Amino acid sequence: CKKLDLAPTDHFTDLNYWTSTEKASQVLNTAYSQMMNDGYFFYNEGLSDNAFVGRGDNQGALSISNGTYDPSLGRLKDEWDKRYGGIKTVNVFLENVDRVPDMSDTLRNRMKAEARFLRAFQYFQLYTWFGDVPFFTKDITIAESRSIARTPRAQVVDFVLKEMDEVAALLPTKQQYDASDAGRITSGAAIALKARVLLYENRWADVATACEQLMGTTYGQYGLFNSYEGVFLPQNENNIEDILDIQYVPEYRAYSDYFDLAPLSVGARDNGMAPLQELVDDYLMTNGKAIGETGSGYDENHPYQNRDPRLTATIVYDGYAWKKPDGTTQTIYIKPGSDPDQSKKLDEYGPGRVSSPTGYYMRKYYDPSGGNNFLSGLNLILIRYADVLLMYAEAKNELGQMDATIWNNTIAALRKRAGFTDPSALNFNAGWSKADLQTIIRRERRCELAMEGTRIFDLRRWKTAEKVLNGWAHGARFGDPAIDNGYIRAAQRVFNAQKHYLWPVPRDERALDPNLGQNPNW
Amino acid sequence: AIDHHYTTRLTVTETQVKSIDLVCQRRELSWVIASLQQQSGFAFVFSDDDIDTRQKISLNIQHQEFKESLQIIFTPLGIHFEMLNDKVLLRKDGATTLLPNPAHALVDGEVHGRVTDEKGQPIPGVTVQIKNTSKGTVTDAQGYYTLKFTGEQVVLQISYLGYDKQELATNGGTLNVQLKTSNTTLNDVVVVGYGTQRRVTVTGAIDQVKSQQLEGRPVANTMQALQGASPNLIIQQPNAQPGAAVNINIRGLSTLGDNTPLVVIDGIPGGDINLLNPSDIDNVSVLKDAGAAAIYGSRAANGVILVTTKRGSKTAKPLVTYNGILSVTQPHILFHPVKGYENMMLRNEAVVNANPNQQPIYSPDDIAQMKEKGDEEWILDAILQNALQQNHNLSVTGGNDKTTYMVSAGYLNQANNFVGPDYGLKRYNYRMNLTTEIGRFKFTSLLSYTHSDLKDQSYDAGFLMADAERTPTYYALKDSLGRYLTNDVLTEFNPLGILQHGGSSKNDNDNLFGSFTGELAVTKDLKLRGVLGGTLNANHRFIRVQEVDFYPKGTYGQNRNTDDYNEKNIFINTQLLAEYTKKLGNHNIYVLGGFTNESFTKRSNELKLKYTDPDLGTPTTGTVIDPGSTNTNQGTTETSLNSFIGRASYSYQDRYFAEVDFRADASSKFAKDHRWGYFPSISGGWRISSEKFFSRFANTINELKLRGSYGVLGNQNIQPYQYQTTYTVYNNMYGFNNSPVSGTGFTFSNPDVTWEKAATLDGGVDIGVFNNKLTASFDYFTKLTSNILLVPPTPGAYGGAVPFYNLGKVRNQGWEFSIHYRTGNQVHQEFGFNIADSHNEVIYLDGQQYISSGDEMQVILKEGLPYNSYIGLKRDGYFQNLNDIQNAAKPAGLDVSPGDIKFKDKNKDGVIDDNDRYVLGNPFPRYTFGFNYNISWKGFDLGMLIQGVGKRAMFIRGELVEPFHYNYSQVIYQHQLDYWRPDNPDARYPRLAANGSASNTNNFRRGSDLYIFNGAYGRLKNLQLGYSLPGNVAQHIGMKKLRVYLTGQNLLTISGVKFIDPESTEFKNGQGNGSQQNNLSVSAGGNSGRAYPTPIYYGFGLDATF
Repeated sequence: CKKLDLAPTDHFTDLNYWTSTEKASQVLNTAYSQMMNDGYFFYNEGLSDNAFVGRGDNQGALSISNGTYDPSLGRLKDEWDKRYGGIKTVNVFLENVDRVPDMSDTLRNRMKAEARFLRAFQYFQLYTWFGDVPFFTKDITIAESRSIARTPRAQVVDFVLKEMDEVAALLPTKQQYDASDAGRITSGAAIALKARVLLYENRWADVATACEQLMGTTYGQYGLFNSYEGVFLPQNENNIEDILDIQYVPEYRAYSDYFDLAPLSVGARDNGMAPLQELVDDYLMTNGKAIGETGSGYDENHPYQNRDPRLTATIVYDGYAWKKPDGTTQTIYIKPGSDPDQSKKLDEYGPGRVSSPTGYYMRKYYDPSGGNNFLSGLNLILIRYADVLLMYAEAKNELGQMDATIWNNTIAALRKRAGFTDPSALNFNAGWSKADLQTIIRRERRCELAMEGTRIFDLRRWKTAEKVLNGWAHGARFGDPAIDNGYIRAAQRVFNAQKHYLWPVPRDERALDPNLGQNPNW
Repeated sequence: AIDHHYTTRLTVTETQVKSIDLVCQRRELSWVIASLQQQSGFAFVFSDDDIDTRQKISLNIQHQEFKESLQIIFTPLGIHFEMLNDKVLLRKDGATTLLPNPAHALVDGEVHGRVTDEKGQPIPGVTVQIKNTSKGTVTDAQGYYTLKFTGEQVVLQISYLGYDKQELATNGGTLNVQLKTSNTTLNDVVVVGYGTQRRVTVTGAIDQVKSQQLEGRPVANTMQALQGASPNLIIQQPNAQPGAAVNINIRGLSTLGDNTPLVVIDGIPGGDINLLNPSDIDNVSVLKDAGAAAIYGSRAANGVILVTTKRGSKTAKPLVTYNGILSVTQPHILFHPVKGYENMMLRNEAVVNANPNQQPIYSPDDIAQMKEKGDEEWILDAILQNALQQNHNLSVTGGNDKTTYMVSAGYLNQANNFVGPDYGLKRYNYRMNLTTEIGRFKFTSLLSYTHSDLKDQSYDAGFLMADAERTPTYYALKDSLGRYLTNDVLTEFNPLGILQHGGSSKNDNDNLFGSFTGELAVTKDLKLRGVLGGTLNANHRFIRVQEVDFYPKGTYGQNRNTDDYNEKNIFINTQLLAEYTKKLGNHNIYVLGGFTNESFTKRSNELKLKYTDPDLGTPTTGTVIDPGSTNTNQGTTETSLNSFIGRASYSYQDRYFAEVDFRADASSKFAKDHRWGYFPSISGGWRISSEKFFSRFANTINELKLRGSYGVLGNQNIQPYQYQTTYTVYNNMYGFNNSPVSGTGFTFSNPDVTWEKAATLDGGVDIGVFNNKLTASFDYFTKLTSNILLVPPTPGAYGGAVPFYNLGKVRNQGWEFSIHYRTGNQVHQEFGFNIADSHNEVIYLDGQQYISSGDEMQVILKEGLPYNSYIGLKRDGYFQNLNDIQNAAKPAGLDVSPGDIKFKDKNKDGVIDDNDRYVLGNPFPRYTFGFNYNISWKGFDLGMLIQGVGKRAMFIRGELVEPFHYNYSQVIYQHQLDYWRPDNPDARYPRLAANGSASNTNNFRRGSDLYIFNGAYGRLKNLQLGYSLPGNVAQHIGMKKLRVYLTGQNLLTISGVKFIDPESTEFKNGQGNGSQQNNLSVSAGGNSGRAYPTPIYYGFGLDATF
């Protein structure tokens, strides 16, 4: 006979958990892991006019971009649950970490600050999608969770900003951390997140101030990495440009999204998401002109010639020279009938096929060192220094303070790093109006940060979503020439400005908590 | 209680009477008799039933005459004695004399004869015994017996299972006996918790299934054989793959978690019924109500299934029996794709319907070419094949007057219907059941060993099925070079390639079941019993994934995983019981009390390797250990349960019956203060047919009994340690600077978690008419389960895992009816029919409602509704024209077209949304029924079993409902052709529209009654046609019995849904795990037609007895 008082052999209980620094830090590690996942990171692009999810409904991106979703959509509840899951981890950590004996105050304070950053990040994501959300900074009981009401968005914004100021003062800079701590939240990350929060509120002066703080050295040393393509390569992880990222470890904590993103001929299973013609069209010519501008030199029959080098670093198009891990290249044949091996023609466009529904594939974040099925441990960057420069340029322009110096330090610097050499692409033109500059800066932002998951948030804060997320989204010019000049009609989209700027509170949540209420027109 | 004989038999030596000296203080009468015998040389003959030899007396007899001594000793005890030659016959005063004619002298005699049945066929193996002695014999293969006896006349008791027992007096010579088939089951012994009862005394709702009902069926496990055998024993099969588990349920759903009944095998709880050899089973008792089950109080809330295996019989010659069935299993796919070119045309239609401006997928040329070329084999057909199944069993039974034995060996080989290197289940059973008596001790030793080898494909069967069925018939599986092809549907893998070369998952499990029971008859009435029993499972799983390359692209198993999983679990059950039986005149008293403990330990570990050697799967350069591997201490579970049990029953003249049961349990799953659960029950019975006033009806109504019971049962079926907050460390949760770090997850405790309780009220009536040829039973029950163990529905804002709470109440009520009729002399016929219903309702859920969804399927837990009722939108026909669309409510944001589904606007707000959801149906089967019919004539016999469900809503989603499902499928099936077109306005399905379009979203992405199908069915579960050789012919070839038969399973089905097996279910009953979601697991593909198909069996069987 066994005794009735049995203790688990593979779990800790409350009696023996909060006893060491190591165990406490493991709770914090969990909070890190909950910050963001690769699925959201990649497929959020499918919510925007940058890409189209044509197979299945990955991360709800098809339903949302088609405007056919309702509060029962799984993505809504999933995002809600995951974010609050991360908040709970932080609250439990903060409420128990003081129980740990023999822990240095420096470390304890640093870890608390890291945790508070992560909690604020979750709230930032929550209110950005949902608007007003349940808000609390102490772990709540089941009973409380069933009756909690939503806090106005503005209050949550204030909290996040206040937290960023406080934790920035407590956290080390990127350079102050040991190399083995690469990936931990830094004071720079706190200021960068603050800048982004302010950006989404259109608080331009504050954005500019925060960006200037980062352009100085108080919060760590940041700069542009010397190669645009290299920013996203595994050998350059944690480079000088990286401010905040999700850390991955080859083999041990890895993702394989590229299994559904890469061209099929290089080993992908199918195409889960494909870049759109609308994005491709926004890349400048090497002379700095937009393709539609007079004198741009754009040739619709050779659309990928003389384009912004970032296009090639981001998007795979017909005839693309795909650099393979062994250094050789392989041509990607997308145009129907172009593949010399017509028994395979894996990447060729065809309606209803499993290949890309737009005629484009992704390249940015392809990991040449990846394992089978593209299993990759490449870190995914949430905020990088290029973004800080773009935020600064945008803020300064909105404030009416854009000038050649700022231009040279921001847009021109980014273009130079990207590989533009033509002075007409690099030089500031004093004749540009504020509106001209707004167009230029927004386009620059789109191309620089394409496929990095930020576009949908920009459309929502610019309130341009109803313009660009309605009607046909297109693919390359492989379609019926009689329709839309031959550009593939990939998807018909609906964005209703009256309701779609906020996601609805998930159906199941409202069923469990009658005090949540619902967003307008849902 | 079983009759108990105890007779002293002495050898007569001389006739001289001596004087007697006997002085003793409180010695047992048996000692006194022994002294008398020694001093006198007389033999004392008496029946132990008659004379209590354990009574203690004091004597002071000195030099008395023998006869006077006898008077002094026996007269005060009320014992009459007679002296006959060299014997003294003792009997109780008033008892009929042992020897009706004492004037005759006792001589040695012999009786011989033949025992036959009503048709004059000899019956071998019949027990012929001299009444009140242990002397007896059994008939031989021709039914002959010979028996020597001492004395003038004896009474022979002739008995054989299934026939009425006869008692005949004889003086010797020839005595032929014809036995009559027993028409009553009332005197059968029924196995109940911790004991047995005569059927007539049973007051609870107990069904007994006999081995005969399980025979001759080509089944792989016992539960399949039990389907349809007992009312409200509901068995569903989510997936028919060899080795797959079934859902077992008694009387429907009354709790919100695990509804699996407790299984007790040979008195030891918690056994795996699927590992039993069905041929070893003697009988199965299904305990349904509290009266019957309360003695298992702790986990009996879902009912109890008691399985008893076969034993040998006393003084029986060895009987060697062989049973074998060889059958072919034919996979039965009920849905089929349209022709390839039609598929192309219809897919174009879907695309153009979705958007008239979109380019069709296939050109007219493509379609014409396809039509000309003709179809390839549909991949689902190509990956399934007919398979063989064999069952062989050999058993030897027998015994002498002290010891019985049953030894059996069984072999099952059930090949899998998937094409590939011998996938399937092989099971080897060995069993040895021994009982022996040594004086007052009786020992029973049961030992069974089961080894099973299950070899499955290395990849999920549901995905293989899905891939295969979603591929249109224009894609070939292989090219002329023999390469496995991939295509626009099979984008990654080709299922045939995986099945044939992708490696396998092998389970080789050893199960040892043993129990040792020692029983001591302290007195005639009091028995002590100690049981030590348990099971040892040593399970091993070995998965080997092998790399397969496809053309033009795709590779399976690139990681070349080799996984080893080892698990050992030990379950030990200790029982100490005391049993007291007393008959006082017309009063029968029975008391049982005792203590039991159940201890369970499971330890497991798993080693997972990646990048192993392609040929051997062994570690090689580059091999890494997958971090998902676990150590033993990560896979250890321990539980313990202490229990006190008690039962007291009383009956008067087999007319009035009353019983009280009690059980108290302490479970390690709960904190100290909440550990104990108390489970009492009472039950009573009134056998009206035994009343004097009833005698005038007795000629028609032979048997009429009313029964009733009320009791409280418990459930603790949750994972352990929930009363403590637990922290679990997961490795590789995150990483810094490319070094993985661990993370910790936590589950907050519920220190108050305690027993779930079910109060059950049951009323029943048993009736037997026409000489008990027709018997029927009816039971009504109502059960209120409270403190239901449930993970409460918790808002996402809570943010974390929640333990079980005692929440909620469910009422479940229903009834069972069964009727049985047996008739005929030359032609024997037997009819049995049972039907049952159960209906549950969530009574209390703290005002909460909980909706769970699996894709479009949504089920709700809500007060006032049956457990997990389907909810969704209700269709109101189709939009037939634009006018229709303008005037009707539509889902917001969806631009619908004619031919799309119009939904009912429940709340009349002009918009179709979640507020318009209706309750669409109850997923649980109701009006479950079974009908069996057997007829035999001369040597021929025919038997059939029809089984089915009267009412059930079945939710089926996925490609079997939606053509070109999500673009993952590119197929439209024949049954989907009934879709809306202007000339087919009342179609079953809406118009075709491609994935992602507003029409598609409206029609298929909204959970609605489009997906609800009628799951009622009736199925010819088994049909058997057999022939037995006449006894003398069988004897001629050295056998006692030889029967050959043809058998078929699932031969014919009438169902409300035509394209999927109605027996398949979208729900899982939670086999052995306490997770809250386990009634809504869709992983088996049960609700999307991706489950391994239910096969049809055609078999040939042979039963031979030597």
